[in-house]
Amino acid sequence: MYSSRTYERENLACTSRKTMKNNHAAISPVAITAYSALSACGMGNKALYQCLAANQSELKPLSLFKIPFPAYVGEIKQPLLDIRDQLAEYNCRNARVALTALNDKQGGVRNAVEVAKEKYGVHRIGVIIGTSTSGLYETEAAYAVLLDTGKMPDDFHFVTEHAYQATARFVQLELGLTGICYAISTACSSGAKAIAAGQRLINGGLCDAVIVGGVDTLCRLTLRGFRSLELVANRPCTPMDRDRQGISIGEAAGLLVLEKTHVGNSNAMKVLSVGESSDAHHMSTPHPEGKGAALAMNNALQLAGLTADNIDYLNLHATGTKINDSVESRAVFSVFADSLACSGTKGITGHTLGAAGALETIIALIALQQQFIPGTQGLRELDDDCQCQVIQTPLHAQKLQIAMSNSFGFGGNNASVVVSL
Amino acid sequence: MMKQLFIKSAAVCCPDRELLSYFNLPSSDIDNSFIPAVMRRRTSMTTRMAITAAKLACLQANTEAQNLASVFASLGGEIQVTDALCRLLPDDNELLSPTQFHNSVHNTTAGYWGILNKCQAPTTAIAAADDTFAMGLIEVWAQLQQGSGERLLVCYDELWPQYLAPPIGQAAFACAFVLSTEAEQAIGAITMPQVSQQNKQDMQAEWLKLTAAAPAAAVIPLLLALQHRQPGLVPLNIKAPIWASQFTV
Repeated sequence: MYSSRTYERENLACTSRKTMKNNHAAISPVAITAYSALSACGMGNKALYQCLAANQSELKPLSLFKIPFPAYVGEIKQPLLDIRDQLAEYNCRNARVALTALNDKQGGVRNAVEVAKEKYGVHRIGVIIGTSTSGLYETEAAYAVLLDTGKMPDDFHFVTEHAYQATARFVQLELGLTGICYAISTACSSGAKAIAAGQRLINGGLCDAVIVGGVDTLCRLTLRGFRSLELVANRPCTPMDRDRQGISIGEAAGLLVLEKTHVGNSNAMKVLSVGESSDAHHMSTPHPEGKGAALAMNNALQLAGLTADNIDYLNLHATGTKINDSVESRAVFSVFADSLACSGTKGITGHTLGAAGALETIIALIALQQQFIPGTQGLRELDDDCQCQVIQTPLHAQKLQIAMSNSFGFGGNNASVVVSL
Repeated sequence: MMKQLFIKSAAVCCPDRELLSYFNLPSSDIDNSFIPAVMRRRTSMTTRMAITAAKLACLQANTEAQNLASVFASLGGEIQVTDALCRLLPDDNELLSPTQFHNSVHNTTAGYWGILNKCQAPTTAIAAADDTFAMGLIEVWAQLQQGSGERLLVCYDELWPQYLAPPIGQAAFACAFVLSTEAEQAIGAITMPQVSQQNKQDMQAEWLKLTAAAPAAAVIPLLLALQHRQPGLVPLNIKAPIWASQFTV
């Protein structure tokens, strides 16, 4: 048993080296000068930390709309800010969630952007937001009207509410920025890929600061779509548990301000690298040996100039489906053996899809800042299949310097973010 | 700092034969011979158009797709698949097709391209409304600035239902480029996309009309500069602020 695992590990490492030709030398870190998360845990990093520290699930029966089956979701319950009249054509739940996170005083994203505007100029600040469904929640309501009356409602604005870049563009206009702006939509890796793009834009000299992150909100299509794939649990999800049944979907905004490093922000936490890869296997099923996932983690280490033993904590993708968790645990074992403390936090927040990569990078930052390792809410008995070291309940008073966060999406699209104190 | 990005190939795919006749570059309607039957049945017009353009560009550049990282840029992506699903949602009894659901994500084309070419290199899917092509080039620029090598950039838009955002979707258009940090075998080069002083596009009216219907067609000034080997400032979108690159042969 042990020898076969070892063999697989070498085999995977070998494949990774071969394919890594396409990637390059280590890249420069960028400073994270502010970050803020809005999720089912509430507004701000403190609320998120409190849920994580208590290992408290925020998964509740869906109340935002009706669907024809029971589902537990991570729904944002707190009031959302309204979009101002001048930007009314951008008004949708996704934009309101983004705006609420942006204005969170505690996280200070808006304030950091104002400082950056003074320092660099409005044209030098980019906006890259990951999302999987953008304003689809409102699109669905508009389709009900279309099917009923034969035409879309009068206040239907496809490009500014429903298209992928709508939230990124809204954030840009809300902040009075004029630079580079686009959405990344690679399903559940979108938020992590936005961080990758932001780091590259700064390192490449195309921007001096970039607001990156992920914003995704609950909608019928994702709930019923994942249900059609038989991937939705009918109770709160239980990642890495031997009896896990599937995912619980959530919604969130995770926003981070990235800036080029300089003496003024030398105390800020940093994005060291984002490793990316493709499975080249199947649209909705991961590679059975986790080759793509392992490649993303190895690429992240290589780009940051690190080795596996430099990582102190890994926030797993750990969605709670049978296959995803088992494949990820194999991939993690192939890179880190069983020496790395890992946990999955979707039993607390739900799987926030296009926001997950950003939300869970923020969870990794909170872990570094608070020197604690979150637990894996929902996990009762670790699956025999899982060889990596999964932390069940939060561990405090840790010594953490560098953390990784995994995100894997449909299309076999993988990204692993590495952040440091 | 990288000063120029070299264009190794450019290719077009669209269903409009008259439009295709304007291009003296590798171009065709959807070429099903590029896509195995199993995948052909599962993929939309937009994915087959984008894959055709991407294949033509790789063939022209003589580049192995298996090791090529890629950027897929589209305003609407799989809009027809999403539209069909949205039409089912108001009825609680309708069951969604799992294949259609995973085919509705924006990176569907990127996913199938990776599977088709057994390519494990990173791929991304971006969107930026009218600026989608310009932002796609910027994403490629930033990726190549980080190292050296080649990237595939595919920019595409299919036909849309006309109740969504007319005139968007009245034309379908896909194009693809192999871009490189190396000058070898290049057919042209561009500088870093930047906001230009001009705030109006001086494209011919027919091209402006096409680009309003298919934002991916914002690539046409660059295609024409390539085919006429005409250096100069090339606009990358049609609405202010205008992003532009200097094109050299």
